Amino acid sequence: MSNQIRAELFKLQRNKTFWVLVLISTGISALLHYLVIIEWWQMQNTAFDRAGLSEFNAISTFTVPLFFNLIISPLAGFYISNEFSNSSVIKNQIISGSKRSHIFLSKYLVFTIGSIVLTIIIPIMTAIIEVILLGHGDILTPSTMLYLGRAYSLFTLQYLGYTAILILIAIITEDSGKTIIFSIVLTIVMFVIEKLPNIPIVSMIYNNSIFNQFSEVFTFSMTSGEILKSILIALVTLIIITLCGVIVFNKKEIK
Amino acid sequence: MSEYILRTSQLSKKYKNTLALDDVNISVKKGEIYGFIGQNGAGKSTLLRIVTGLSFSSKGSIELFGENNPSMLSDAQKRTGAIIESPALFPNMTAHDNLEVHRLQKGIPGRESINKTLELVGLSETGNKKVKNFSLGMKQRLGLAIALLSDPELLILDEPTNGLDPMGIAWLRELIKKLNREKGLTILISSHILSELHQLASRYGIIHQGKLLEEISAKELDEKCRQHLRIKVDQQAKGATILESTLSTTDFEVMPDGTMKLYAYLDDVRKVSKALTDNDLVIEHLSQNGDSLESYFRELVGGVEDE
Repeated sequence: MSNQIRAELFKLQRNKTFWVLVLISTGISALLHYLVIIEWWQMQNTAFDRAGLSEFNAISTFTVPLFFNLIISPLAGFYISNEFSNSSVIKNQIISGSKRSHIFLSKYLVFTIGSIVLTIIIPIMTAIIEVILLGHGDILTPSTMLYLGRAYSLFTLQYLGYTAILILIAIITEDSGKTIIFSIVLTIVMFVIEKLPNIPIVSMIYNNSIFNQFSEVFTFSMTSGEILKSILIALVTLIIITLCGVIVFNKKEIK
Repeated sequence: MSEYILRTSQLSKKYKNTLALDDVNISVKKGEIYGFIGQNGAGKSTLLRIVTGLSFSSKGSIELFGENNPSMLSDAQKRTGAIIESPALFPNMTAHDNLEVHRLQKGIPGRESINKTLELVGLSETGNKKVKNFSLGMKQRLGLAIALLSDPELLILDEPTNGLDPMGIAWLRELIKKLNREKGLTILISSHILSELHQLASRYGIIHQGKLLEEISAKELDEKCRQHLRIKVDQQAKGATILESTLSTTDFEVMPDGTMKLYAYLDDVRKVSKALTDNDLVIEHLSQNGDSLESYFRELVGGVEDE
């Protein structure tokens, strides 16, 4: 499988969409952080406010599925789906005799790495750099760093489940446009469910999903039980969706 | 080890209500060039897709390099190279990068194999040119380079001359012969252009409407396509006796429709005609024929369509 991962990393490096998205993510992130830090854009009552990191408020934009999906769904479409449709290069991978599950997992892994770079690493790095450059470095204390470390570790765990959902959509649709549209629809549905008046069964499912956890993990103070629950939700989602992906890919007829 | 590189047993593929393959048994021997002949939609690509793992059979089994356990087939597939339908390439990458992806996937050590393969297919001068700017022929060559990069033991080519100009076709033919001759590479090549295969294959599999009609060696085919006199007389049994007694030859065969194929006396037709008429036979048909692969194929397929 290491061969597959190396090949996928090479393809990601050569993928134009990825580099365009790196530029977009860096640009948007730098701009939003700048606007927040100079207080031109005032965001209030965010989790970062409560943690004493109000200069980091712009990051909260990147933690909303409706927003970060807009950045990573094109990657899923143009990096994953395109291999099935436009060029059919997926054929070469299958013909080469690699196990389908290895092919799927290597794609998932590298797509996730690319997505983490785009919507987690870039926003955090630009935030830290701008905070320091604009003279607010003193907010980066051990306790705030610990908070960021805990919150982002849990967030990344939830994120693994989300990228598994995206790659599953990409493989089922085999079309970049459909992948983007279906993923946007999914995030809109989740957004609507979050805002819906209390329907017990729906609330119960939503509250125990990664979509709720995307915001919950940024709570300033979390009990051990809450952390454990968050980890369990992420792992169960990851395992179930990845297994579904492997099964779908194993049964897929490659056109 | 078995002399067969590839064998299928009662391989069938059903798409909803269409039977694309119907109990197909083909066998490809080590070191041969196997020509897989059939019209468009006959089931050639379907079979090759199943063999290469792109598709799954509804029934039957495959034995590749002696391995017939479905879960272990992927290991045997590592020893094959293939182009199925059209070459699968990254349009925004160069030829070198396309091969690099494949090299990494297969875990082939060292980059020198890339330059060697590019040279083999005549693409060593493409430099930084992106594949999207390649001609169809260049893309086909690059597809072949990908298939050859890992030095496979079995090369599967599905309609490889699609998009190639006459020069390209001649080049490909020579390359296939060279690979077979020099490296002992076993090649399974499908085409609906029969003349292409006639100059290449050492054995043929003829498929029609999902059914394998015949497997025949080039030698046997040549034998069947020999120049002959096609004779039809009013009394076939007597005609055969006269050929044996008067013309002293047994080099003929009687076809199911009663015509006789006489492989002797090709340059003395008058003698044949005289021998038959002198013995009170009415000659209904007498002509000199020689089947081409095309006419043989037509005859075979026609027989099926008439049924």
